[in-house]
Amino acid sequence: MTTISTEKVTRADIRMYRMGTGDCFIIKLFAGEKEKYKIMIDCGTWQGAEEKLVPYITDLKEYVGNTIDLLIVTHEHKDHVYVFEACEELFTKDFNIKNIWMAWTESDDDSKAQQWLKDFGDKKKALKKAANQMNKALQDPEFVNQFKDEKSGNELKAAREYFAGALNSFADLQFALKDGDYVGMLKGMEVVKKQIAEGNKIEIRYCHPGEIISNLPGAEGIRFYVLGPPLAWEQVKKESGGAGESYAHNNELAHSDAFAMAVLAEDKRELKNLLPFDTKYVSKDSKDQRQCYEDKANQWRNIDHDWLNSAGALALRVNSMTNNLSLALAIEFEDSGRVMLFPGDAEYGSWESWHNISWPQQDFTKDLLNRTVFYKVAHHLSHNGTAQRLGLEMMSHPDLAAMATLDYEIISSGWMSTMPNRALIDELLKRTKGRLMVMHEDGIPYDKASKQPLTNVILNARANMTEKERTDFNKSFVSKQLYLEYKVNGLSKKSVKARKKQQ
Amino acid sequence: MNNLYSSQSAKLPAFRKLRGYAFDPSLSLKLDTSAVNDLVYKVPWENVEPGPVGEYLEVLDYDPTTKEYYAPVNLDNAYVLAQDGLDPSESNPQFHQQMVYAVAMITIRHFEKSLGRKILWASRLLNYSEGKGYETYVKRLRIYPHALRDANAYYSPVKKAVLFGYFSAMPADETLQMPNSLVFTCLSHDIVAHEVTHALLDGMHRNYNEPSNADVLAFHEAFADIVALFQHFTFPDVLKHQIAKTRGDLASQNLLGQLAQQFGSSIGSYGSLRDALGHIDETTGKWVPTIPNVDDYRNIMEPHARGSILVAAVFEAFINIYKSRAADLLRIASNGTGILPLGELHPDLVNRLAGEAAKTAGHVLNMCIRALDYCPPVDITFGDYLRAIITADVELVADDSRDYRLAFIDAFRRRGIYPQGIKTLSIESLQQPMIDISFKATGKKLSFKDQSDQEKTQNDTGQLLLIIGTFLREYGNAIKYVSDREEIYDLTRLYIAGRTEKNKETQIQGLHDRLNIKFSSSKEFARITGLAFLEEYIDLGIKQSGKYLGPSFQIQNLRLVNRVGPEGNQINQVIFSIVQTSRLICRDGVFLPSSQKTEDETSFDFKGGCTLIFDLDSLQLKYAISKPLIDVDCFANQDKCLLNLQRLKAQYNFLNNDGGTDNGFQQGFSGPAFRSTEPFAFLHQH
Repeated sequence: MTTISTEKVTRADIRMYRMGTGDCFIIKLFAGEKEKYKIMIDCGTWQGAEEKLVPYITDLKEYVGNTIDLLIVTHEHKDHVYVFEACEELFTKDFNIKNIWMAWTESDDDSKAQQWLKDFGDKKKALKKAANQMNKALQDPEFVNQFKDEKSGNELKAAREYFAGALNSFADLQFALKDGDYVGMLKGMEVVKKQIAEGNKIEIRYCHPGEIISNLPGAEGIRFYVLGPPLAWEQVKKESGGAGESYAHNNELAHSDAFAMAVLAEDKRELKNLLPFDTKYVSKDSKDQRQCYEDKANQWRNIDHDWLNSAGALALRVNSMTNNLSLALAIEFEDSGRVMLFPGDAEYGSWESWHNISWPQQDFTKDLLNRTVFYKVAHHLSHNGTAQRLGLEMMSHPDLAAMATLDYEIISSGWMSTMPNRALIDELLKRTKGRLMVMHEDGIPYDKASKQPLTNVILNARANMTEKERTDFNKSFVSKQLYLEYKVNGLSKKSVKARKKQQ
Repeated sequence: MNNLYSSQSAKLPAFRKLRGYAFDPSLSLKLDTSAVNDLVYKVPWENVEPGPVGEYLEVLDYDPTTKEYYAPVNLDNAYVLAQDGLDPSESNPQFHQQMVYAVAMITIRHFEKSLGRKILWASRLLNYSEGKGYETYVKRLRIYPHALRDANAYYSPVKKAVLFGYFSAMPADETLQMPNSLVFTCLSHDIVAHEVTHALLDGMHRNYNEPSNADVLAFHEAFADIVALFQHFTFPDVLKHQIAKTRGDLASQNLLGQLAQQFGSSIGSYGSLRDALGHIDETTGKWVPTIPNVDDYRNIMEPHARGSILVAAVFEAFINIYKSRAADLLRIASNGTGILPLGELHPDLVNRLAGEAAKTAGHVLNMCIRALDYCPPVDITFGDYLRAIITADVELVADDSRDYRLAFIDAFRRRGIYPQGIKTLSIESLQQPMIDISFKATGKKLSFKDQSDQEKTQNDTGQLLLIIGTFLREYGNAIKYVSDREEIYDLTRLYIAGRTEKNKETQIQGLHDRLNIKFSSSKEFARITGLAFLEEYIDLGIKQSGKYLGPSFQIQNLRLVNRVGPEGNQINQVIFSIVQTSRLICRDGVFLPSSQKTEDETSFDFKGGCTLIFDLDSLQLKYAISKPLIDVDCFANQDKCLLNLQRLKAQYNFLNNDGGTDNGFQQGFSGPAFRSTEPFAFLHQH
């Protein structure tokens, strides 16, 4: 029988699998050269057939010896759970998972969470229905003919098609569909909750902000701090702060209840209930109005489907909320105080809430950010994934490095307009001295006008490293076809010296 | 109903009185404001059908979300007439129709008063077909008071319609508004005035929908807010109430300076939406005015936020003019100390101050609307607008004894808004330069040997312009007494496009034809307008005209400007704009005509334009306000003419970077096609 070593963890190897825009991380913890503990965070990508993904997962299984000590699923978005669905068998057979953590909002027993999820489900349903109605309208020759005579007719049609397409891809990202209708949670999430958790007889741990988890058997010397998702609804809704808070982007979230209800109404009777006025005000004899509205010569002014555009605001809102429901963790080497930050896709509202957690010490969240030496960039380098004043500007550690899961080959087309955010890249490169590792740099522009490639900008930033920094970085960073890997040193400078002396 | 008033000898009433909210319904629930919130709008009298449908507007209350029509209000109903319209009520859609109609008509009235002519909506642009032509007249703006279920309202340039939304409230202050009650955007004076102004502006400058720089859409937003804002100052009761409340200091927090109360309150951010002038301090809970920051104009790109810089500048100009006008009154009332006694102001003083404020606001609004005639037709910047304000004012008001112009310049300067291409900031330099063509209509012709080559061409051009000027005078005379809007439209089209008939008497050679024949390869005209009236236009990516040899160009917005200034002076001008489009591709940083496009390249349009102002008294071209398509300096230095790279590069960079669409909605959903066809639909998404 092997004795369990209680030696403390001194190093973490972080491996990012390159399956396309989406997260899949393996963190191996070592004490010295001894492998101690294996964490897996998410397994998703924007899209991909099973056969394309199998090589990655096969490699992953081999790397961890078919055993994961802790699986963390941050939130229910396709780019974080899709591969559980696509390669279900690889995860359910011959793969041993010992613990699973999720955000408290995923718990079926939490009544508050359940109310949210129900409201949320309705909104998602409405979203998909609006997309379907839009598509149906586009099949309708009468509707399409409206644009025929207009000078910008082709653009008008293209605009609506683009919109319907964007809505559909948002729907894909969020939930499972059957025959084009919303049916419930993403399959990948279901695989984790049902097949993996129940199959392995694991009770999922639902984490709340403020929890500190330490001394996990095998992960001695490592402490987990749960930062998000926030407990307050207000924070979940918040996508971005004002100027200086998140990277220049403003969008208030509208209340879409009235909209969602009207989309969901199944028949005339249900619509009647939704009238904004007493029924006595409805035209009994609407002949004149109808004649004016339905007149063929006036059709170019009709507005039957324009109201469905509100689904766009709703989609963004649903998307932001789910992002803010991300399980956000700070993983600390307790002796040196060095921190690895895995925020999922948390947006501004979540970041802001971390600072209100009542830790045993004051300003502790700030302290954690100050000590961060590895940052998994939230939301694929988008403007709203990283808080500015309450986030990145507090990451002041000289050893900071960052990994971002952005890949222009496999991505939702709508995302390319917001990812990457140039201001965020500038700041990250400055703070990391170029230790920014992006999943696939190919084709990603830094500046969309001059089409300057991101690669050049990153290389330029790295040119400013000192000789020592360069050697260290080259030693820590491995780039392979299937993955990128970065070794995070868990020892403080002082203890490194002390160790050298001992030797 | 009609014969009720036509059968009697009483003359037509001047106004139709209609009750409505001065702001929006939320203020009617607060004791201290409810009295001023109920207002009687005096709408110019016209015959209206149920809807209301009148000369300018058709309110059509179809709700596509419930697929129902709400019964239309009949404003001519004797009971409705007898009590100044229906009672203000959130729950009666017929009142909603009445309110939208009233506010929209008041806004239209302001424009007609300032411009001195009837307004026309933007015409509907068509795919060219025989018989229908390129565009058709749009008589009425269509208004849908209940078209969306969203915290949104917008003007659709394609449909020539305004769509208003309603939504369930999520109020910041639950004592002000019932949670989950419905909020109707069509009941807010500001939102209605704002959206109708978008439509009016589109009718004058249709290219202002195209965001070719960060200011264009922001200008649309700001201008709409300015009109909505200053319209409040024309309601005497509201004005007096607020002056009494703020003790004459209109720069402090007051209802007049806020936009769209209820809208702002119910989407959950405290204070008002687009509150350009100040905000509530989070820690003290007190209202503080926004301090102008020069960096804002450089950094803020989102159209509403950027627009609010312009709104704040105009408002500051207004406040300073008002202060200087009211200073003597305050001295009299305070025995020369300038310090008013505690307690409420004397009602007479309130009346006099309100009079000054109303007068000032009227002047400022006039200046702002009039300036539209002096703006370039494309690619407007705030700086251009400042120049237009100054130029329009210099034209009409010779003696600026109250320093209105300085107040504007100062307020713009404090926000870092400077026009490009001027060396100093003064009234003289901001006024558009007058065209100086050495030829004088009245002067004797110089003999040819006395002239250099350049003078010769200038002289020729001057003569040609004189012929154009004479033609425009004919147009001015023909249009002067026409009051039917459709006739104005048709006549104007006729003078632009011309009429070819066998009968020489009725044949008209149109302006388009004339410009083409006289100037299609005139370097001098190209220099004046900055447009490619040059032989090598094809190399610059400009199409050949469909009808003639020579470059294609568009004539927009031919209009007669006939105004009387405060000193009884009169200006008689005919103004029109020329717009030219160059279609290009960018290959490795080099711009080439789109004729060289390969399959995987996409072309884009670069527009130049020029507004030409002819003085009908002297028949001379007085101003040419240009956004040059070509590099005008190249005439002096080289033979080959180039595109104006400075403008072109700025536009290209703007469109290919953030494009001012700093709004997740636009980035995620709208795509380029939506932005070009429904630019406002998503701009107002919150």
